[in-house]
Amino acid sequence: MDFTPSPDQSALTSAIDRIASRFETTPTEFHGFALDGVELERELESGQYFDIAAIPEMGPIAAALVVERLARLPCTAEIALSMLVRPQLDIELPRPFAVIENGRPGRFVATAKTLVLIDGAQVSVAHPSPEDVEAVESLYAYPMGRLAGKLSATPLAAEQAAGVRTWLRIACAAEMAGLMQAAIDATVEHLSVRKQFGRPLGTFQALRHRMAECAVLAGGVRRLALKAAWTGDAGDAALAALHAQESATRLIYDVHQMLGAMGMTLEMSLHLWTYRMKALLSELGGRGAQAEAVADYCFGAGQGSIER
Amino acid sequence: MNFDWDQEQQEFRSTVRAFLAEHLPDNWEELAHGPGSAAQTEFSKTFCGALADAGLLVPHWPKEWGGREADPWISFILAEEMWAAGEPRGGQYMNVNWIGPTLMRFGTQEQQARYIPPMARGETLWCQGFSEPEAGSDLASLRTRAERDGDNYRINGQKIWTSYAGAADTCFLLARTDAGKRGISIFLLPMDTPGITVRQIPSIIGEGDIHEVFFDAVELPASARLGEEGQAWDIIRLSLSLERVGIPRFALASRMLRRAVGTLQRENRFDAGAVQQAARAHAACEATRLYSYNIIDQRCQGQPPGPEASAARFATVNAERLVAEFVVEHVPEALAGGDALLLAHHQRAIVAGIASGAAEIQLNLIATELLQLPREPR
Repeated sequence: MDFTPSPDQSALTSAIDRIASRFETTPTEFHGFALDGVELERELESGQYFDIAAIPEMGPIAAALVVERLARLPCTAEIALSMLVRPQLDIELPRPFAVIENGRPGRFVATAKTLVLIDGAQVSVAHPSPEDVEAVESLYAYPMGRLAGKLSATPLAAEQAAGVRTWLRIACAAEMAGLMQAAIDATVEHLSVRKQFGRPLGTFQALRHRMAECAVLAGGVRRLALKAAWTGDAGDAALAALHAQESATRLIYDVHQMLGAMGMTLEMSLHLWTYRMKALLSELGGRGAQAEAVADYCFGAGQGSIER
Repeated sequence: MNFDWDQEQQEFRSTVRAFLAEHLPDNWEELAHGPGSAAQTEFSKTFCGALADAGLLVPHWPKEWGGREADPWISFILAEEMWAAGEPRGGQYMNVNWIGPTLMRFGTQEQQARYIPPMARGETLWCQGFSEPEAGSDLASLRTRAERDGDNYRINGQKIWTSYAGAADTCFLLARTDAGKRGISIFLLPMDTPGITVRQIPSIIGEGDIHEVFFDAVELPASARLGEEGQAWDIIRLSLSLERVGIPRFALASRMLRRAVGTLQRENRFDAGAVQQAARAHAACEATRLYSYNIIDQRCQGQPPGPEASAARFATVNAERLVAEFVVEHVPEALAGGDALLLAHHQRAIVAGIASGAAEIQLNLIATELLQLPREPR
């Protein structure tokens, strides 16, 4: 048990920090929903960062650290699926990746070169042509897209499908951890400078306690996500995704409440994190389905449901 | 960064589990019910003596005091396994975790020679005389007075909500020797000193847990003072930092959640609603476990105590609450004669946010120190 990044992991996160530092601010002229990180993606591609999980001294935990860090940026790019799910399928598969669940619009679908299609219990993989997919306008702070027609797809065997679900859960939790932290940071900044009744909002205990509870939840999500990335265990993944979706549901409400009307405007950047979180809330069936997965993997037969 | 246990840690956990399997009597779960009952106090002395004989009572203590200087992971694994078993050490866990180490650091040779060996043999029980009727979360406002009279001090005042006071041999007492926060001193007070009256207050937590303690002109020698006059705050801060995570409550909560789920599964009662709540409680327990491990890891690296410890404590409160609520809603018979250890867990879980400092104080600390929000006006 060691929570300190290894020298290799530290070198990686420092390099990622340097890249991220150039994308920390939202362009003042931007008043949209999704801030597309085209430049960021190009940098990551040229540095071959999308393949780090496959490097033995790095592994998926290093990829999860990167996903979490980059999710804190106001801009977004398809990072989590490429870094954490793609290596489990085939690192040679073309990216960007996207997921379509039961025919619904999904993140990055319009630009994806590999699609993971989830239809009920079945998981399949397809490689769409540009005419197979289309962009859709949405409130979510990701570029959203959907299928424009029928697509031929290759079904995965049950075991591989279960593995994909596990890593989708880990990717979701790692990304959520970064989004939660960024939303907290933005809210803390607001509470520290915005004054009402003659003093900063952050001095009012009613708000301080709610923010502290959000911070505790976010820290738990981060640790569960990293552990799941280390073990690759289906139960750990389900726990991480459940805690992420459950905690984000509350956190999104709280941080918007604290930014008041300012947080409703597209001039503030809060929605760039909260409306990414909202897109993740429903993934893989949402928190209800994650709870069922926890029960299957952690309380199921042979999983030690009978306490020792 | 890795989340694996090394071989020594795995073997140590197995050793502790084997010890528990061998030494806990068949009626242990019934005994576990009253955390300060006469029966449990008596059992804890036998049990801690056996732990000491096996080298499992104070492995993290210095060799000179009977330990082997094991690292914080070993003492935390020990604490996890003990708490998960229902804490058969009873109130002696306090000796092991912080009272002994505090005396090693601040005690005189005479105090160390008198008090530490019985702790290392598992023979003695302490209580902590902190809270008072007007000094709960605002501990610094305590009023119990220790007046100097030649070579002695005379103690007058009252403590309340004192755990184990009815059975304790010695009290780790905070009393006022001067005005203000810096006017508080610590005394090591034998509980058989004339002038002490202990009254148990019946509580939801179980027999022998909560007491009032009255001090009526209690005389004790100046040599019973720990550290200098007015040094209490510094000593307490340091001694509590020895115990940064506190009790690994998640360990029993997690075990009891599994037991409750097992009961429901066996009886075909693990319905969709129960699945949802059990999974959320399990996630909260596991998040808390990782928070606690993170803090133990920081301690191993020699890092100073940070605000994450407060976050870990608050996460613990959440997890305890979710498990206790799950049991009440889905295995209600546990609180009505159905399962002694589930009952004992419930009684311990309900004080998770109160004992050793209100959870809301932790939230204040998180807001100020972790989030760096501006402080509240005073």
